Amino acid sequence: MDERTLAFINLHAVLGGLAKLCELDGECKKLIEGKEISIGISVKDGPEGTIRFSGGACTVTPGIERCDIKLPFSSCKKFNGLIDGTVTPIPSKGFTKIGFLLHEFTKLTDKLTEYLRPAEGALEDPQFFEISTTIMFHLILDAIAQIGDEDKVGRASASYIVDGDVRLAIEGGPEGYIHARDHVLTAVHTPTETPTSCMVFTSMRAARDLFDGKVNGVVCVGQGLVRMSGMISMVDNVNRILDRVSMYLA
Amino acid sequence: MKKVYEYPKSRAAFERACKIIPSGIYGHQGPAEGCYIPVEAFPLYSSRAQGSYLWDLDGNKFIDYMAAYGPNVLGYNDPDVDEAAARQRAISDCTTLPNPVMIDFADLLVETVNCADWAFFAKNGNDVTTCAVMTARAYTHRKKIVFFKGYYHGVSPWTQKIDYAGILEEDVANNLYVTWNDFDGLQEVFEQNKGEIACVIAQPYMHGNFADNELPARGFWQKVRKLCDDTGTVLIIDDVRAGFRLDIAGSDHYFGFKADLICFCKALANGYNVSALCGQEFLKNAVSSLSFTGSYWMSAVPFAAGIACIQKMKRLNCPQLLIDQGTKLKNGLIATALKYGYDLHVSGVPSLFYLRIADDPTLMLHQEWIAECVKRGVFFTNHHNHFINASLTDEDIEDTLEVADEAFSVIKERHS
Repeated sequence: MDERTLAFINLHAVLGGLAKLCELDGECKKLIEGKEISIGISVKDGPEGTIRFSGGACTVTPGIERCDIKLPFSSCKKFNGLIDGTVTPIPSKGFTKIGFLLHEFTKLTDKLTEYLRPAEGALEDPQFFEISTTIMFHLILDAIAQIGDEDKVGRASASYIVDGDVRLAIEGGPEGYIHARDHVLTAVHTPTETPTSCMVFTSMRAARDLFDGKVNGVVCVGQGLVRMSGMISMVDNVNRILDRVSMYLA
Repeated sequence: MKKVYEYPKSRAAFERACKIIPSGIYGHQGPAEGCYIPVEAFPLYSSRAQGSYLWDLDGNKFIDYMAAYGPNVLGYNDPDVDEAAARQRAISDCTTLPNPVMIDFADLLVETVNCADWAFFAKNGNDVTTCAVMTARAYTHRKKIVFFKGYYHGVSPWTQKIDYAGILEEDVANNLYVTWNDFDGLQEVFEQNKGEIACVIAQPYMHGNFADNELPARGFWQKVRKLCDDTGTVLIIDDVRAGFRLDIAGSDHYFGFKADLICFCKALANGYNVSALCGQEFLKNAVSSLSFTGSYWMSAVPFAAGIACIQKMKRLNCPQLLIDQGTKLKNGLIATALKYGYDLHVSGVPSLFYLRIADDPTLMLHQEWIAECVKRGVFFTNHHNHFINASLTDEDIEDTLEVADEAFSVIKERHS
């Protein structure tokens, strides 16, 4: 596993999950109400991104221009340590706003962890199940793009993906797509009107079981729980990247 | 109107299989790799087969254009091949000492295949492509292999890609990739890897999936042959898929050059399990030096079947027959598509035709049409080349065109 790729996943996919969290979880939505603040994360030889809370929503975008709080990390390993809880960040900018980092932001990341690593029995609550699965879906979408662009083996898979949009969707649930151009992958969290290929989970349960590794994707295709169509070589290669998502997020 | 098939017994069998067999049906004959889109349109198990037809578990009859993905070259249960196999089975099959029918089969291959001075037998295509690469490495004492992008040479780690499950970077570290028909690119790769390339391995033309199949450019193979000669590189033709459907003497002969090694499997024995690596005299000692064998590789029954199959293919002038029938089907399908305003591309050699409705580059329309054909009793696939077999009649072709017509009308109405 490559620390640099993991750092890109942690910033854009895992912390990227804050955006959906603040949209879907009422408590979190309330927590950021009226907040106008941004946290820039700068990782040496790694990713840079800004988590911005504004107008009652959260966005995560590349680059750290005009951030209120800046968190520098001397290496990808150090930043990855922040995500697994072994490293405490020290801001280089925005000391007066550190309260947000220590209180609201910590509450948000704790809540995100609850959804991404649910306690035993938590998924029995239908609302929790839906939010957790939706956040996970979008996280996976982002992770696919990061791995396809950064990981050596993922880049090999991306090199076989022709230009176009791979639609990923859960029937009655979230959807988005991977946009491929010149073998560079971008995750987009809205529906595409012009998919080149599709991979559709027929239910939240089917998607969840696949995400959790409880069932096998090939079997699900045979059982009609996952439906593929269009340029199947694209889906095939996205699936190869998907295999690496579980390795990185394990 | 044709009857639209349903497959409750196939589905039930698949559910049963999923509990005890990985993927239910793994590999290219399963619903995922087989691109059964939508899965409900396709049968999953067969109950019997005869000639050009197979019947599924629900009793639905299909004209089968996949021919077991190639092995069925004369027709399922060909009486001549089956009789030869039965005769040999009554004598011996898998024994401690091989039966001399093995020598007879090698003799026949040497006599039939243009580049063959010897024959080495195994079971699957992958066995002999692997044997060919090992032979090239043993002979040249070099490690690198040149592939043409879009290739398929089996499932051993060396044939796979770095991102495939279970494959190590080291497994494919010596693989070099060149675009099909790009001779300049090939030359450049040779220049960059001087003295390191053991072999070039290629199918006789590009019959990759999800794209129109591409024949060699004029003079391409002759230039590749010369480059290999000039650099002491072994030229391997993987004729597992196309073998005997283009030319009884091998597909290299069809395209006017001579391979150093040629791999056969599918059409070799009309479904009996045997594969063969044939090659030129100068490589015989290198093959002999390999440690490469298998429990069933000298079974006599498939050898007897192979002899009968090749003799019958010769009597029928099988490759030409298959090309002629394929051409009739190709022309009929193109005309039928045109009737509905569709641009159906039929590529590759007609005995191994590949289909694609070119009006929709995403292939979704094509997948819909294939599904409607399958549901009406014509087993096409949406991603892979097809295979004509010698028992296919003009009446079968007429029936196929009727089904194709109805399937086009269904998708036309759906999208109008």
